[in-house]
Amino acid sequence: MVARKRKRAAREAGESLPSPPGYSAIPIKFSEKQQASHYLYVREHRVREGTKSAWPQQRTLFVLNVPPYCTEECLSRLLSPCGSIQSVELQEKPDLAESPKEPTSKFFHPKPVPGFQVAHVVFRKPGAVSAALALRGPLLVSTESHPVKTGVQKWISEYADSVLDPEALRVEVDTFMEAYDKKIAEEEAKAKEEEGVPDEEGWVKVTRRGRRSVLPRTEAASLRVLEREKRKRARKELLNFYAWQPRESKMEHLAQLRRKFEEDKQRIELMRAQRKFRPY
Amino acid sequence: AGAGPGVMGPAPPGAAGDPEVSEPEVMEPTLEGTGEEGKKVSSKKRTLAGSPVEGLLQPVKLSRAELYKEPTNEELNRLRETESLFHSSLLRLQLEELLKEVRLSEKKKKRIDAFLREINQRILKVPSIPEIEADRQTWLKLGSSPLQQCFTVKGRFRFLPPVQVMVVGSYLLGTCIRPDINVDVALTMPREILQDKDGLNQRYFRKRALYLAHLAHHLAQDPLFGSVRFSYSGGCHLKPSLLLRPQGKDEHLVTVRLHPCPPPDFFRPCRLLPTKNNVRSAWYRGQSPPGDEPPTPHYNTWVLQDTALESHVQLLSAVLGLSPGLKDGVALLKVWLRQRELDKGLGGFSGFLISMLVTFLVSTRKIHTTMSGYQVLRSVLQFLATTDLTVNGISLCLSSDPSLPALADFHQAFPVVFLDSSGYLNLCADVTASTYHQVQHEARLSMALLDSKADDGFQLLLMTPKPMIRAFDHILHLRPLSRLQAACHRLKLWPELQDHGGDYVTAALGPLTTLLEQGLGSRLHLLAHSRPPVPEWDISQDPPKHRDTGALTLGLLLRPEGLTSVLEMGPEADQPEAADFRQFWGSRSELRRFQDGTIREAVVWEAASMAQKRLIPQQVVTHLLALHADIPDTCVHYVGGFLDALIQGLKETSSTGEEALAAAVRCYDDLSRLLWGLEGLPLTVSAVQGIHPVLRYTEVFPPTPVWPAYSFYQRLRERASLVPRPDKPCPAYVEPMTVVCHLEGSGQWPQDAEAVRRVRAAFQLRLAEILMQQHGLQCRTTATHTDVLKDGFVFRVRVAYQREPQILREMRSPEGMISLRDTPASLRLERDTKQLPLLTSALHGLQQQHPAFSGVARLAKRWVRAQLLGEGFSNESLDLVAAALFLQPEPFFPPSSPQVGFLRFLYLVSTFDWKNSPLIVNLNSELTVEEQVEIHSSFLAARAQLPVMVIITPQDRKSSLWTQDGPSAQILQQLMVLAAEALPILEKQLMDPWGPGDIRTVFRPPLDIYDVLIHLSPRHIPRHRQAVDSPAASFCRGLFSEPRPSLLMPVLGYDPPQFYLAQLREAFGDLALFFYDQHGGQVIGVLWKPTSFQPQPFKASSTKGRMVVSQGGELVMVPNVEAILEDFAILGEGLVQNVEARSERWAV
Repeated sequence: MVARKRKRAAREAGESLPSPPGYSAIPIKFSEKQQASHYLYVREHRVREGTKSAWPQQRTLFVLNVPPYCTEECLSRLLSPCGSIQSVELQEKPDLAESPKEPTSKFFHPKPVPGFQVAHVVFRKPGAVSAALALRGPLLVSTESHPVKTGVQKWISEYADSVLDPEALRVEVDTFMEAYDKKIAEEEAKAKEEEGVPDEEGWVKVTRRGRRSVLPRTEAASLRVLEREKRKRARKELLNFYAWQPRESKMEHLAQLRRKFEEDKQRIELMRAQRKFRPY
Repeated sequence: AGAGPGVMGPAPPGAAGDPEVSEPEVMEPTLEGTGEEGKKVSSKKRTLAGSPVEGLLQPVKLSRAELYKEPTNEELNRLRETESLFHSSLLRLQLEELLKEVRLSEKKKKRIDAFLREINQRILKVPSIPEIEADRQTWLKLGSSPLQQCFTVKGRFRFLPPVQVMVVGSYLLGTCIRPDINVDVALTMPREILQDKDGLNQRYFRKRALYLAHLAHHLAQDPLFGSVRFSYSGGCHLKPSLLLRPQGKDEHLVTVRLHPCPPPDFFRPCRLLPTKNNVRSAWYRGQSPPGDEPPTPHYNTWVLQDTALESHVQLLSAVLGLSPGLKDGVALLKVWLRQRELDKGLGGFSGFLISMLVTFLVSTRKIHTTMSGYQVLRSVLQFLATTDLTVNGISLCLSSDPSLPALADFHQAFPVVFLDSSGYLNLCADVTASTYHQVQHEARLSMALLDSKADDGFQLLLMTPKPMIRAFDHILHLRPLSRLQAACHRLKLWPELQDHGGDYVTAALGPLTTLLEQGLGSRLHLLAHSRPPVPEWDISQDPPKHRDTGALTLGLLLRPEGLTSVLEMGPEADQPEAADFRQFWGSRSELRRFQDGTIREAVVWEAASMAQKRLIPQQVVTHLLALHADIPDTCVHYVGGFLDALIQGLKETSSTGEEALAAAVRCYDDLSRLLWGLEGLPLTVSAVQGIHPVLRYTEVFPPTPVWPAYSFYQRLRERASLVPRPDKPCPAYVEPMTVVCHLEGSGQWPQDAEAVRRVRAAFQLRLAEILMQQHGLQCRTTATHTDVLKDGFVFRVRVAYQREPQILREMRSPEGMISLRDTPASLRLERDTKQLPLLTSALHGLQQQHPAFSGVARLAKRWVRAQLLGEGFSNESLDLVAAALFLQPEPFFPPSSPQVGFLRFLYLVSTFDWKNSPLIVNLNSELTVEEQVEIHSSFLAARAQLPVMVIITPQDRKSSLWTQDGPSAQILQQLMVLAAEALPILEKQLMDPWGPGDIRTVFRPPLDIYDVLIHLSPRHIPRHRQAVDSPAASFCRGLFSEPRPSLLMPVLGYDPPQFYLAQLREAFGDLALFFYDQHGGQVIGVLWKPTSFQPQPFKASSTKGRMVVSQGGELVMVPNVEAILEDFAILGEGLVQNVEARSERWAV
């Protein structure tokens, strides 16, 4: 215990914290009371030439290891001294697609329980990124002026939030369905328009809306057809017609027995190894 | 050598030393921690098997050439033999292996033979003593007395070396089985020792004892013997025998038992008929009876047994001698008997009896000498199962001499009759009717098992021990045994005492079992008793008395259908039988008028709940024993309901929750009726199905109606809901019971997953609206469900659309072909709306068939969760394991009490070979034997892809749905270890005649294996009172005890420890495992994952909770343990009392 304390003291006194190449480390604590701190590993957001990224180059800070109690608001408050912030986006893991999330419905996509996350912080000005990289910390997530709820307090407020307003839900459902119905109607109209009209090469697309019903284009249907064919072929085959057929079936039986015997032997071997034959 | 998936089971001996083996996530198994007693943890540690291949069956690969080569004659013969003589080749191999295991090796046989030769010489050299008066002084001179009372014997005694020393019994026949090799040696006493009329008044037995005492006195000084002790041969206290064991390392190799016997033709058999008296009342009781002397059939038999030793061995060797099949059969039958504890003590169904039975079957041509061991086993079981020797005795005697006694005479004197070849000796003289019925019952069960052609018949038939506590629903101990002496007097058993030479335990046994069988009537399936073998004793000590043999233990196998009635209906009051009924039941019998107008004698037992009804046998037994046998209830220790305490609700002592569950199910039935009849939904309801454990009777603590006290909560008036208040303790935990509501099919549903969800939400809203309008039920809606408050119970109704899983599965290939692929979402939905309702209704049905199912499943779950392993096992998987105990009870009978079911659960879990076999739970017996074989083989082929624990049901034949998400190999292994530790502890407690002690011992989890313990504050544990050691006081949880109408929805599913655990697992799941008992656990056990603590190079994707340090000039990442420990406290602010880091394993 003593050794560990000394180590920590040494770490805190030391000028530069160890950090992986390209990153700098910023200690972060929940509040004043905590002794040990986690470390945010931050670097400028860069992507290889040619790949698209939704986050603006040079203005975006990429943050690793954001503790679970640190929300987007917290992070934005903690980093705002470096420059004004445009947006903060928390993700579960560094995503290769790297696109900001679409706004989702709180009714149909409830927020998952947070763990350690990664963040993309977009500043308004490019200079703020280097200011952030030079931060010394330790950052405090919860302060007296901005307390962060955890534990029982947090669960109670989450519970209160989970009691939904049915009216809001109804409104959301209605708007979604309206849009959906419109989309379907459009598609249908389009399909009707194309019905029976040959394309430039003269092919006519057969749809299920045609006069005669056709086989649906599903995998199950095609498997069914194959199966039927196979059965038909099997029915036609003659058994015990050629001399080799009974001989072969006898051999097959013997092989079956042998295989079974081998299996049993293996089983016995295993049971013997586990001393399964000691009755008591 | 990391433990791969699917690896468990004890390691082969070589692997234990490998340091790497126990590395990843392995929990060190410990002895069952008893918490308070601070018992030392055993150092017994097991490690996981070394490589994934070890101990795992592989699909057999044989080359084509090998499979299709020409068969040799020998091979064909063997194959043919297997087909005709054995059930399958596997069974044949298994039996061969077993016989190899129990047979005596040639090497040991040689050593034993040498020892026997030595003994022979020593015995013949024992010096003679001149004739003396056989009085008290003689005994004292010899320094030891193998008889309980050393009366003066009329006549004189002298010692002369035996005229013949002869090995008799199984050793000579080659049918003795290991361990405990006994060699019986008969010493024929010279005629000079005995006098005429020695058959009378125990004179022969006393001289026999003197003879042995003298032998013992001399042999004890011989350095050849490691120990020289006495024991009762066959448990008969008049017939001691001398046990000799070799010196040194061979001490446990063999026990030689010396039985003195009279010279041939010394006793006239006609004087020893079952109708004759050979113990005079004047001598035994000091007074003559008013009428004739009572016959002494048992006494006569014991004398006859000594005279027949030689003829029996000759007969047996003539029959068994040349036929290896018969010998195999006898050995197998002995194993069979021993596993069932039938061969113990006086009146046990011994190996000798079974050999004689085989001989009998050979003589009646039921068995042929060319039969295989398996066939002999089968024929004997068949014979036992179908014949009743208590009614129709059998005889080996072929002669039709009219002077021989009639079978009827024997039936008069003995419950079971099987005469030897002389026609005078009943071999089953000491076997009681209940022992014989137990043998019959076992034989019937075994035959059913063999006929079912199950694959693991061998295992169940011959390898599974059936100790009494695990075989019988209820057990009762009568202690102290001295009380039976009074019982004998009360039952007027003086002639029997005279016959048994004062052995009041044996004398009382028969009448007592008959009494109880009659009293328990329709509640009883089988009553059995165990006779613990009398321990052997040193020759310098006094022999144990009758009362020293521990307790008399009776086992009751109950009949579930008879258990529900609280009434014993007697005859009508004016019938003559009414007097008998009154006499039998004593003061409990009263006159009652019944609905059909008759007035009858009847006995009514007080029992309101199922739990109390299950214990009516206890009332019956104590009442009858006190009334008829003068045995007060303090002397009856009834073991049947001790474990009930663990599934009893709060402040509830009379019920184990079956009634509360039934009340919830009734409320659910009402609700489903309402849903069926709803008007105004765009589509009508086509089916309502429950999926919550309550609705299949397996919720450990059944829900109670809630009546919230508003002042305890914050009120959200506009949403008609209550919310917990931060300044109050956590409110009571209310778990909504989930119900699936299927709607009729319609073409109007959209064909897009997102749109379907919106339409479903619209249905949920509409449902709530209508329920509120039409039935005034309080509802609350989210996008996926509607919570409904009805009569204090809360149900969570989920609307389901049958085609939704299908829609989630649809994938469109680039060519426009629609194919169906399972996705996690579709599987989950299908599980919740399709398989789970089926399972719930199947288990609901099982509960109707077997009323004990609920208790067993709940005890099992309770135990698993109390061991902090509950999160690893899904609710359904444990329910199915419990169901398996009822659906495949072999070799047992389906349990009728939670106690025995729980013991078998522990046994099943600890011994089942999860690695190499699936647990098939044949719900509704839908799977045929062929299908089960098929399942086995496809299981082996797909083993690597399947979860570690595979449970197959008729609805789920391939994938083992309920164990997909766990347990992991390590958790399962830990459970197996804990179960293996708990079982013997619990069985010992229950078999202890003086009380079980602390029954909760095995429910307390071992905490010393965890690296960190997070202690929680009871204030915020809503289920605090459910803890194994229930607190004397807890916090107010904001409920009224009286029904009050509630307009606001109570707080639902609010369980801070669960929220906390979810956060911990999300944040630190990579670094540690968290263990918690959801039923009021006050501590969370944390186990660091050793692999995560290896320093790793920096990777952007795995920085969670880690920090970069420089180690030896290199930058590596290690877990930031100090910060994490502080995070534990931060995340659980208010809930966490303190975080106790206990090991330094994580120090980096």
